[in-house]
Amino acid sequence: MATVGASLGASLPPVGSALAQGAPAAAKGPKLLEMEGKAKLAVLGDKPLVAETQAELLDDNVTPTNKLFIRNNGQVPDVTGDPKAWKVKIDGEVNTPLEITVGDLMSKFPAVTYQLMLECGGNGRSFFSPDARGNQWTNGGAGCPMWTGVRLADVLKSAGLKSSAVYIGSYGADPTLAGDTDKPSISRGVPIAKAMEEHSLIAFKLNGQDMPLIHGAPVRLVIPGWPASVSTKWLNRIWVRDKEHDGPGMGGFSYRVPKTPIVPGSKGNEKDMAILESMPVRSVITFPADGSKLTSRKLDLRGHAWAGDFDIKTVDISTDYGVTWKPAKVDAPANKYAWQNFSASIELPTTGYYEVWAKATDSKGVTQPFQAANWNPQGYGANPINRIRVLVES
Amino acid sequence: MSQINIIHAAVIGLTATFLLLAFDRAGELRKDQYVYVPPAPKVAAAAVDPDKGKPPPHNDKVEDLPEGKNRELTFYTCTACHGVALIKAQGLTRELWDSTLDLMVEKHRMPPIKAEERVEILDYLAEQFPPRRKGRGADNPFLK
Repeated sequence: MATVGASLGASLPPVGSALAQGAPAAAKGPKLLEMEGKAKLAVLGDKPLVAETQAELLDDNVTPTNKLFIRNNGQVPDVTGDPKAWKVKIDGEVNTPLEITVGDLMSKFPAVTYQLMLECGGNGRSFFSPDARGNQWTNGGAGCPMWTGVRLADVLKSAGLKSSAVYIGSYGADPTLAGDTDKPSISRGVPIAKAMEEHSLIAFKLNGQDMPLIHGAPVRLVIPGWPASVSTKWLNRIWVRDKEHDGPGMGGFSYRVPKTPIVPGSKGNEKDMAILESMPVRSVITFPADGSKLTSRKLDLRGHAWAGDFDIKTVDISTDYGVTWKPAKVDAPANKYAWQNFSASIELPTTGYYEVWAKATDSKGVTQPFQAANWNPQGYGANPINRIRVLVES
Repeated sequence: MSQINIIHAAVIGLTATFLLLAFDRAGELRKDQYVYVPPAPKVAAAAVDPDKGKPPPHNDKVEDLPEGKNRELTFYTCTACHGVALIKAQGLTRELWDSTLDLMVEKHRMPPIKAEERVEILDYLAEQFPPRRKGRGADNPFLK
C-alpha cells in the first residue's frame, strides 16, 4: 500500500452520487454527522436522522459500531430503566402467546454471534435516473458488523407456531414523526421460512457491546440479506400472522419493485408491484477512496461484495470502461450472510485519469448492471457497477 | 457641661447597646448565619437522561428552502414531521410530487391538506424541485 498515496478528495462531490450517469458534480461534499459514538458519516436527512457510510469508511472487514449507517423511520424512543426488564410480546398464530423480558430471552435461549449484513432497502437509490423518491443513498446504507442475540426461531418455537402461521409482523417502540404512539412508524415482516432461518436473530449486542440506542436498544431484529426495514429496532412485538403482514411499509410502492418494467419517471401501478425480498448483488471498492491521487501506476485495491441471500462467486475489475475485465481475489464469507472481501493488484498502463469499475456476480450467475435498472417510484434495487476515479501522477 | 455630656454619653451608649442587643435577638444582625439542616435522605439514583444516545436536536428554518411562491406554506406543512433535507433530496415531476403527498397522508399520517393548499404546495415543489438528472431516463420518449 506504500505505493499508493491516497489523498481523500475533500473537494469531491459525495462519493457515488456524482458517478451516476449524467449527474452534475455537486459544489460541496455532504454534511457530516456530529454525534457521540458515531463517525463522521454522510447525513442524508436530519429529521428523521438518516446517515450513510462513505465507501472509504466501509473498509474494515467487520464494520465498527461508529461506522454503521443510521436509518430511522420515526422518532428515537425513550429507552430508560433496566434493559433486562424490556418486554417483547409474541402473539397471533401461536399456541402460547408470550410476553418475555430481555432478561429471560438471554437466560432461556442460547446466544449466537454472527457477522451479518444489514442493508437499507433503498441502498443505491441515487443511481436511478431520473430521481426516485426518498433518501438518496449511494452504496453506504450497508454494513457488516458482529451481532449477538438469540435465534428468532428458538423464541417462535417456544411459543409454538400454529399450522396457520405464514408470516411475521414486527413492531418497535419508535413513535411516528408526527409523534403518534398509537400507530407504528413502520411495521414490516417476513415469511415464516425466513424468520426461522438460523441467522435471523433477536439481537442485544452489536460488536460485543450492549446495543446502542440509535441502533435499536435494548433488542432488535436482525434478518440479514433482506431490506433492513424488516430488522425492527426497539423490538417490542412479533405478531405471527395467518397472511402476508399488512403493517405500514408493507403496501403500495414501499419496499416493492415492479413486476412489469415501467417507464422511468412514471407514476407506476401499485397493483403490479412485488415485495423486495433478497437484496441485489453489489460490490463496493473501499480502498482507494474515490478521487485519490496515485503516485504509482500500481493500483492495489480492495472492497466488499454481497448479494442478499446468496454468495458472491466472482468480482471483476475494469480500468477501461468495461472493455476488458480482470478477476479480483474473492475471500469466503466469515459465515453465511457476511459480506465477502475482494482485492486486486492492477498495473495501470499509463499515468493519467482512470475510472476503476467493480462488478460482482452472485452464486446464481446474476451480475450488476451498467446502469441502475428496473426504475420504480420509491427507488429500490439500484445496484449498478461500482466506480471510483483515480488520477495517476508521474 | 462636661458632667451633662458624660450622662448624655452614658444614655446614648446604653441606648445603643440595648438596640444592638434587640436587633441581634431579632436576627437583624445575623442574617447570614448558617442554619443547621439535617442531611437529606439519599435519593435513589439520578434521573436517567432519556435523550442520551439520541441524535442531536434539529430544527430547520424557512430559509433552508429556496425562495419561491408558497415557500412558507410548503415549509410549515412538511416540516411538521420531517426535515427539509428530505424534500431537497430529490427532483420529481409534478405527478410524482402529487403521489408523494398521497404517500405522506396515507402512510405517514399527515393531516389531509385543503385542495387549494395542495395545489399551492405542488406548484412550489414542482417549480423548485423538478427532475434534475438529465440522463437517458429523464427525457424518456414515453413520458408526456
